[in-house]
Amino acid sequence: MRALLNAAKTGLAEIRRHKLRSALSFMSIAVGSVVFMDSFASIISVNDRLREQRRISGVARMEISPNYDQVFSDPDDYKPPPVIKYEDARRLRSELSDAFMVSAESGSEINVLEYGGRRMVARLNGVTPEWAKRDFTYGLKGRFLDWNDVEKNMRVCVLFRKAAPPPMNDFEKTQAKRWDYTRAFDDMVSRNDMLGRTVKLNDFTFTVVGVLQEPPESERPSLILPADRDYNVLAPVTTLGRYGFLNEEWNSVTIKVDAGDERAYYGTLRRVENFLRARFGAVEFFDIDKQMETINDTIAASVKNALMAMSLGMLAFIAGGIGIMNVTLATVFSRVKEIGIRRALGASRGDIMLQFIVEAAMLGLIGGLIGSAAGYIWGVHAKVMLGMDASPIRFWMPGVSVAIAVLTAFVFAVYPAWVAAGLKPADALRTE
Amino acid sequence: MSIVCSDLSKIYEGGQSGWPALRGVSFEIKPGEFVAITGPSGCGKSTLLNILGLLDEPSGGRYELEGRSVSEMSDRERSDTRCARLGFVFQSFNLLNRLSAVENVVLPMMHAGTPDAAARARARELLCRVGLKGKEKKTPLELSGGERQRVAVARALANSPRIILADEPTGNLDSVSSREVMEMLVKLNAEGITVVMVTHDRELAARVPRNLRMKDGRLEP
Repeated sequence: MRALLNAAKTGLAEIRRHKLRSALSFMSIAVGSVVFMDSFASIISVNDRLREQRRISGVARMEISPNYDQVFSDPDDYKPPPVIKYEDARRLRSELSDAFMVSAESGSEINVLEYGGRRMVARLNGVTPEWAKRDFTYGLKGRFLDWNDVEKNMRVCVLFRKAAPPPMNDFEKTQAKRWDYTRAFDDMVSRNDMLGRTVKLNDFTFTVVGVLQEPPESERPSLILPADRDYNVLAPVTTLGRYGFLNEEWNSVTIKVDAGDERAYYGTLRRVENFLRARFGAVEFFDIDKQMETINDTIAASVKNALMAMSLGMLAFIAGGIGIMNVTLATVFSRVKEIGIRRALGASRGDIMLQFIVEAAMLGLIGGLIGSAAGYIWGVHAKVMLGMDASPIRFWMPGVSVAIAVLTAFVFAVYPAWVAAGLKPADALRTE
Repeated sequence: MSIVCSDLSKIYEGGQSGWPALRGVSFEIKPGEFVAITGPSGCGKSTLLNILGLLDEPSGGRYELEGRSVSEMSDRERSDTRCARLGFVFQSFNLLNRLSAVENVVLPMMHAGTPDAAARARARELLCRVGLKGKEKKTPLELSGGERQRVAVARALANSPRIILADEPTGNLDSVSSREVMEMLVKLNAEGITVVMVTHDRELAARVPRNLRMKDGRLEP
């Protein structure tokens, strides 16, 4: 222990004596630490997003919609996809009673909403209570749509209150003014307490039974596949059909199915395909968006990127290690006489090895500490300032990063230290 | 602590058959003796001293220190022996210039595992003994040649060795400093420490009770 402390003391003195050389060694190791911490954080980030995805959006999802891109060689072969009706969704629900969610949804982009004498454009989506089973990260004032609303075609609705948008520059404001055609609706909902009020939608009176508050940007969960938030008005899917909001010919219902469990996903998919085949004659009429595969592909790509970053970090560490090896070798050759003196005074080969390994490990330690601090500043502050997502730095990351830096320095110092220890005392003493 | 050498040889690598520095050197030094090894440059004096000090290994022959053959010692044992039983004084002082006088004297005690405070106290005491009181914090570069050699003597005494090996200890000193260092060695010998000194200075050698004269790697009869 004393030998270790003495070696550390000598190491510190050497670092102080050769400031530039030491600073360069610190930098080479610190770069490795920064890259390594960032790649660690990337992997953690993918993991966090996946956990959030499972919790909020689910990963065993698929979306069934009419396929308007069928491939056919003869124009007479083309058959327009059949319309999926709400009743089909109900039947599928009874077929998939063990599935977590079977949500029938429809939409109408341009609708006229009247309130307080003002007319504005609003997007209208027909949903069932199943809709709220996934991606539901909103604050709810009042109540959400229930099965009674759906079964009895009630003219009730839930309005979306958007979170305050992030600050916009002049150009973005101009673009928003020109293209955001539901801006008046958003303003109206944000400025009025709409709960319990009645609004007119395409001349039909609807009662607002609930208001969904979108969480601010900073509080939204970070997901692998971001949830769709482009909603204005939600009403029972049956009501929209009953009152002619949907064009029967084109506005087919979209069915979102969540098997609930990844293991049940492919079994559920097979049952969905069987249902579509039995009900409509062919699966090809429909486009089944396999979200689980998209999520898996995205995860694989993210992990690949993180591993690539980690291998870059390893390369940076190796480069830093080679730098330390070079510095340690240079130190050994510049201190041959000292090695001889120490050997004459009683230092063993082990003592000499320990001396140089400890000195190199200190370069690694200080470089690792600098790199960890820089990695934290980069991941938590600099990235945000540059408009990127902050890295999820965990308390153990700096520790692991420093440990790897020290280990790298240790490994790369073994050879120079072995060279130093192998010098014959008499030969070393003769060196000038 | 006796030194017994039998038929010691040392051949340095180089050329076809190497270069012989020692050719069958045999002698014995009894505990408490003061021996001067003399001879012209290149006769093998320093090589012999390095072997006696366990800084080098002989190519042949047998060297026994206190009845034990050094060729049977491990590196650790040789280091421990150098640390605890031998003290070195070199011609070029061989002090670490970045350390102070006291830190240089502490070094061998550090390797011997002496606690820091005790080592420093002893180092100060030894520096005082060699007449360097008040100069403990000076680095070798701030000291004269004679003072440096005194630091080296203090360092050699740090672990209370039984043998002091001095390689041309006055070689780089003026006559006054030479006399002082020589007096120091004589005094240490009088205290019972075996002193083996390599010198080519006949005048200095004349003051030593026993001389071993070397020529071409051999001891002259």
